Amino acid sequence: MDQNISLKLLAIGYDPAIMQVVERLLNSHAGWEGIAALTREEGLEKAGSGHYDAILLCVGVSAADEEAIRQAVSHHSSSTKVIRHYGGGSGLLENELRAALDHQ
Amino acid sequence: MAQYIFHKADTRGHDYHDWLDSKKTFSFGDYYNPRRMGFGALRVLNDDILPGGKGFGRHPHDNMEIISIPLKGSLKHEDSAGNKAIAAAGALQVMHAGSGLFHSEYNNSQDEVAEFLQIWVYPETLNTPPRYTLGDLPADAGKDRLHTFIAPDKADGIYVRRDVWFSTGRFSYDASFTYPLHLEQNGVYAFVIAGRFSVDGKELEARDGLGVWDAAAVEVKALSDEAHILIMEVPMNIHA
Repeated sequence: MDQNISLKLLAIGYDPAIMQVVERLLNSHAGWEGIAALTREEGLEKAGSGHYDAILLCVGVSAADEEAIRQAVSHHSSSTKVIRHYGGGSGLLENELRAALDHQ
Repeated sequence: MAQYIFHKADTRGHDYHDWLDSKKTFSFGDYYNPRRMGFGALRVLNDDILPGGKGFGRHPHDNMEIISIPLKGSLKHEDSAGNKAIAAAGALQVMHAGSGLFHSEYNNSQDEVAEFLQIWVYPETLNTPPRYTLGDLPADAGKDRLHTFIAPDKADGIYVRRDVWFSTGRFSYDASFTYPLHLEQNGVYAFVIAGRFSVDGKELEARDGLGVWDAAAVEVKALSDEAHILIMEVPMNIHA
């Protein structure tokens, strides 16, 4: 993945303090535009209506929520990658995105 | 038939900052290698050096089992669950990030460097309550023996929320042991902390790592005195 590629990203997670860090880290990358959704409902609404290169499932998102979000995305955008983000704005964040988007 | 992956110490990622000198066996932070995304449920193996007074400022984590093994000096831990602790060489720190917490890890000394291994394992279940445990690393409890210090059995208080077994030991030249895997679906990642070892006939030097899977047991032999090894048995599936 080109380090300077332009990416539109949605991060869904339910801990506002952690998600503030995740959102800040995403937007600290040149060309990356990240927004956060802090509830299941907001996540489903944004995932099912906006266009994103990738959607990160973060803190608090259960397996059932993940399935619902994947369903919403699959009906809306087949090119959007939905990936789990582990670690809460950790050193894995960029790696997880690069691994997912490199395999498109 | 047993499968192997060898990671030579000098092929690890290396981040150098004035506050941290970090060598990464697997992709982390600025180091990205798509062929080094972990070994099964073992995702992070960072070999970190913190200068005096430096460290990781307050930052969040969730849904990771984070094991810190100080090798030299000591770490000062504080987290948002109210835990405050000093983990010195010979100690072991396990943090279940679970549903989320903030923490900081600083070198507890202003003058001496602190060296530690930072190991992350994917949890079996998401969003469980955070937990912090400080214990002892039993490597010096008896030479030429392997000591298991993390196991799924919660009776001893130190555990990881995953079917993992971590063991360590210091060995004299020519001392050997067989490590039988606990679960068929698990693999073993052997990491040499000091000295030299043979693992299933493959020679490893300090900070080399060897992953073994599709094996029932692993044969280990010390090739030097004061040889120190970490054996990490982990599920080969990232997710439970």
